Amino acid sequence: MEPETSPSRPDELRRGVLVFVFLAILTAIEYFIGTHELPVILLWVIALIKAGLVIWYFMHLKRAFREEGEHE
Amino acid sequence: MSAEVPALKPAHSYAYKLRTQRIGLWLFILSDAFMFGGLLVTRFYLLGNRRPDLDQFVGLIVTSVLLISSFFMNRAEVHISQGNQRGFITSTLITMLLGIGFLAGVIGVEWRMAHFGPADGPQGAVFYMMTGMHAFHVLTGVIFLAIILRNGLKGHYSAERHWAVEAAANYWHFVDVVWIFFYPALYLIGMAI
Repeated sequence: MEPETSPSRPDELRRGVLVFVFLAILTAIEYFIGTHELPVILLWVIALIKAGLVIWYFMHLKRAFREEGEHE
Repeated sequence: MSAEVPALKPAHSYAYKLRTQRIGLWLFILSDAFMFGGLLVTRFYLLGNRRPDLDQFVGLIVTSVLLISSFFMNRAEVHISQGNQRGFITSTLITMLLGIGFLAGVIGVEWRMAHFGPADGPQGAVFYMMTGMHAFHVLTGVIFLAIILRNGLKGHYSAERHWAVEAAANYWHFVDVVWIFFYPALYLIGMAI
């Protein structure tokens, strides 16, 4: 089994851009749903996805559970 | 007869402190999230399927500004973890300016444009309490960023040691997560009053 490795630095920057683009698209969809009176549940689903992306990729939740105390 | 005792990491080591500081920060974020969660519940309890009559365009702009600031905050953290001081300084400065822009948009524009005050019924109480408490957190985040910017300019952070930057970034992203829920709750869900 391949050991789990953290992404290299250029990958981290690229991942940040991808997450940002995804969040921006979701925000635009959110605005469209809100201004066109579409089902509210969609807004909650999008909000949860956006929060999950930020918590996982920007806040690095998994770092809190690490045994090693190191920066990535 | 002495049994082998596994070696413990010294309590004063950077690695040990980093681990415990991370847990402490996440516990703080969790406790703060309960406060914001309470405000969110209050909004639906008091207003139900109605919402304050707010400018949709301003709402979208301030939301976008905060989202972009989170992007630059992430870049600042990645840059310092690469040892790129210049990139860290630039990205932190942009994040700060965007945070100030968000405050100007909410307090300087949206609060002035709103045709109701804090004492004008449930919608005033809900809107000003939610945006006010969130703006207070953005302000403290900007102060936190100013501190790491100052320390960064003095060269206090390196690729191996930058806990304050990580903490400021996590706090800033948390403030963004709160707005991810506040934005639809205030601007998009329900009929305008």
